[in-house]
Amino acid sequence: MTLLGPSTRREMLMKLGIAFNTIVGAILAVPIVKYIMSPVIGGEKSGYDSWLSLGDVTQFPAGETRLAVYRNPVVNPWDGDTADLPCWVRNVDGQNFQVFHINCAHLGCPVRWFPQSKLFMCPCHGGAYYEDGSRASGPPERGLFAYDHKIETGQLFIKTGQIPAPGIASSDASSDGEEKPPCA
Amino acid sequence: MSLLRQVALGVAGLVVLGLSGCANPPGKPGPGPEVVNPDSIADFAVLYKANCAGCHGFDGKGGAAIALGDPVYLAVADDAVLRRVATEGVPGTSMPAFAKSKGGMLTEKQVEIIAHGIREKWAKPDVLRGADPPPYAATTAGNSSRGADVYTIFCASCHGIAGKGGKASSIVNGSFLALMSDQELRTIVIVGRPELGAPDWRGNVPGKSMSAQDVSDVVAWLASQRAQFPGEPYPQTDKSTGGTR
Amino acid sequence: MRLIETIGKWLDARLQIGETIRETAEHSVPRDTASWFYVFGSAALVVFMLQIATGIMLALIYVPSAGQAWNSLQILNHSITLGWFIRGLHGWGSDFMVAIVLIHMVQVFLFGAYKYPRELTWMVGVLLLLVTLGMAFTGQVLRFDQDAYWGLGIGVSIASHVPLMGSWIVSLMLGGPIIAGATLTRFFALHVFVIPGLLIGFVAVHLLMVIKLGINEWPMPGRIVRKATYVKEYHELTKKDGIPFVPAAVWKDMFFSGAILLAVAACAIYFGPFGPSGQPDPTIIQTAPRPDFFFLWLYAVLSFLPPSMETPAMLIGPVVVIGGLLLLPFIFGEGEKSWKRRPIAVLTILLVAVALGTLTHLATYTPWSPVMDAWSSLPIPAEYLHNRSALERQGALVFQVKQCHNCHSLDHEGGKRGPALDAVALQLTDDQLIRQVIQGGGNMPAYGKNLSPAETTALVSFLKTLHPEGRPPARDAALAHAAGSVAPATHP
Repeated sequence: MTLLGPSTRREMLMKLGIAFNTIVGAILAVPIVKYIMSPVIGGEKSGYDSWLSLGDVTQFPAGETRLAVYRNPVVNPWDGDTADLPCWVRNVDGQNFQVFHINCAHLGCPVRWFPQSKLFMCPCHGGAYYEDGSRASGPPERGLFAYDHKIETGQLFIKTGQIPAPGIASSDASSDGEEKPPCA
Repeated sequence: MSLLRQVALGVAGLVVLGLSGCANPPGKPGPGPEVVNPDSIADFAVLYKANCAGCHGFDGKGGAAIALGDPVYLAVADDAVLRRVATEGVPGTSMPAFAKSKGGMLTEKQVEIIAHGIREKWAKPDVLRGADPPPYAATTAGNSSRGADVYTIFCASCHGIAGKGGKASSIVNGSFLALMSDQELRTIVIVGRPELGAPDWRGNVPGKSMSAQDVSDVVAWLASQRAQFPGEPYPQTDKSTGGTR
Repeated sequence: MRLIETIGKWLDARLQIGETIRETAEHSVPRDTASWFYVFGSAALVVFMLQIATGIMLALIYVPSAGQAWNSLQILNHSITLGWFIRGLHGWGSDFMVAIVLIHMVQVFLFGAYKYPRELTWMVGVLLLLVTLGMAFTGQVLRFDQDAYWGLGIGVSIASHVPLMGSWIVSLMLGGPIIAGATLTRFFALHVFVIPGLLIGFVAVHLLMVIKLGINEWPMPGRIVRKATYVKEYHELTKKDGIPFVPAAVWKDMFFSGAILLAVAACAIYFGPFGPSGQPDPTIIQTAPRPDFFFLWLYAVLSFLPPSMETPAMLIGPVVVIGGLLLLPFIFGEGEKSWKRRPIAVLTILLVAVALGTLTHLATYTPWSPVMDAWSSLPIPAEYLHNRSALERQGALVFQVKQCHNCHSLDHEGGKRGPALDAVALQLTDDQLIRQVIQGGGNMPAYGKNLSPAETTALVSFLKTLHPEGRPPARDAALAHAAGSVAPATHP
């Protein structure tokens, strides 16, 4: 009894110690996990989906597709050039616009517009898109990603958000022919 | 012992080989970044090679388009023309706009470098000594019926009766004319295509230069030959307008 | 000399590890393992140490900020004395490390060393391969240039295919909605703290098991591994025919490691550091991103997957490959070790090597990519313009200005995406040429809306001239027959 007593007491104290540390660990884990997951759940999301002006509509001549650059609204001071994002603005006919992400719908490489052949071509795996952003050929599964856009007080606004990627369905190209000009 | 010596020799050889690279190591990066920002490329040779050589040829000649290295052309077309054409392109023809402001990929300064560089590299100031070329842009309206006569005098010996091809190919093909601007036709009438054997305005008929009015008239005649619906794959009537050599 | 001995004794009296080290060093290993085939593991470890040393040196200068990282690499390359050389060592060291780890793995596989009782050693080895590749990828990101920026975009696109969590994973990976400052800092933390930590831990476990379980004996055909008897047989082997690891076997490791270090240094001197290429400014779109050498094969695979196969392949492929590697010792834990009696193992290695080699080779010249400036920089070969009509020359201009040259080569110059057109007139008649140009098809965009009838006519008349001297172009037999210009074919 006298031999067992202290031993069980010490074992119990050790178990208590483990339990104590487990509880402290769990309490600490909450803020740590929250910190790590902040890009997903955090309150920093303000500005993720904000309307941003690309400038005067007159910069974009009717019937042409031009590169426009905007500064991403969610900025850290040390982002440098990476916060300047390009996009392709297509002025369909003076009233209707399409704004495409620069990223190829295949693997995100920068597509380049060729006004002569009226094609977007991707330098990585050769994806090609027609002027309305629909898929022309190559490995992409779909057309170019498009920004939501609107025109207010003579300015073209786009809705910025997450970098587009084929697996994320949030951004959709309006390449289903709805804005396609009639067969000319 | 001999094995040890061999190993020692081998190691010494390797070390010597390694040290030989140290005096002037070939792997040391050259000055400046490896890839220059495309907007800050200011070397004419690089810009010309990347943007112009595809159609106008590596050395200002030998391409499918007009030879920019032809000193006669450079004597007729001034800097403003070169700059404007490179900036805006020529709508309706195969010359695209290169300036960013017109949807191209080059800055205004780079267009300037190209226009200036072309002149600096290929122009010969005294190439037209004594000659008085017709102006680059038409100053008088052309008369197409007079132009037909001018054609017969100056052009028919190579391009055949009514332009339908002779020693040289047809120049009244509907698709061909649809892809040429009046100015482009005028430029070629004036400066010729020396690398293809077409002489400039002085050499069509020996000893007889075309006048400015002759040039305007013949261009007006060519323009009057344009087809209403060019490029029909099965021309109903005249088969000889096809691309015969 | 005596002083060193005194200090050594003083230290060991307190540290008490001299005996353990000596025993470990001199432990008996099978005589055949003192072989040039058994040097890759130690070489990988030595190169890893070089990476740690050079990595710390680079961290003295490098700034992990999206706005400044590229500039700090320029400083390293151009302003700091021999900064370029340290960058070269680190860059080439990483390539050598991946290569040696792969060779080590092939050797272990072919020698059956993953079999009982070394299953866990193999599995930790697989994890070591993965973290080594992780180091290579994160390191490529830290070289924050255009390739790194768009390479991250490729990573985002691949990660986004994960069902349900795709968007989350992308946000976690980037530290925000886009590739920016927060992305670089987290890849810095991964490359400098997290993955090296894992790597060191895995290496420790891996080495511990190599020492505890003994080095794999030289495989003899017919010597079968059985769980019941293997450990006893191995101990008998080391007792009967063993040699002390130090110095009998270790000298080969030393020579090989030294040679590898020398090779890394030679590459750094002669070929210099990798990049950085252009600055990571996404508005500079005149770029063709390429991954580093050891990811080229993946880049090639992604170009060949048909669109419908992409998602399944990206999701299932890695699981199958990694799972297969991890489970290998449990499926084939016993039996023959010698490659002479394991033809399927040898064939597997050959197949994988040929496949990876071919894909890597293809990715070095990317036949699937359009050459983005071919249309404006590569003239049509002079002989294809010789003696052509005015219309055909206009067609040649259309060929250039409509970017046909970007995907189609003439005289081996230009894009390889589409077929070479040097002899296209032999294969297609006028009507077929017009149809192909206007409707596209077979992975070619349709140009119908982008070409005027005049341009099409000019282009086709140019294409019709593309046939070798002396061989007439293809013609429509039906049309010719209807016109009565061709006699019906006669059979002898």
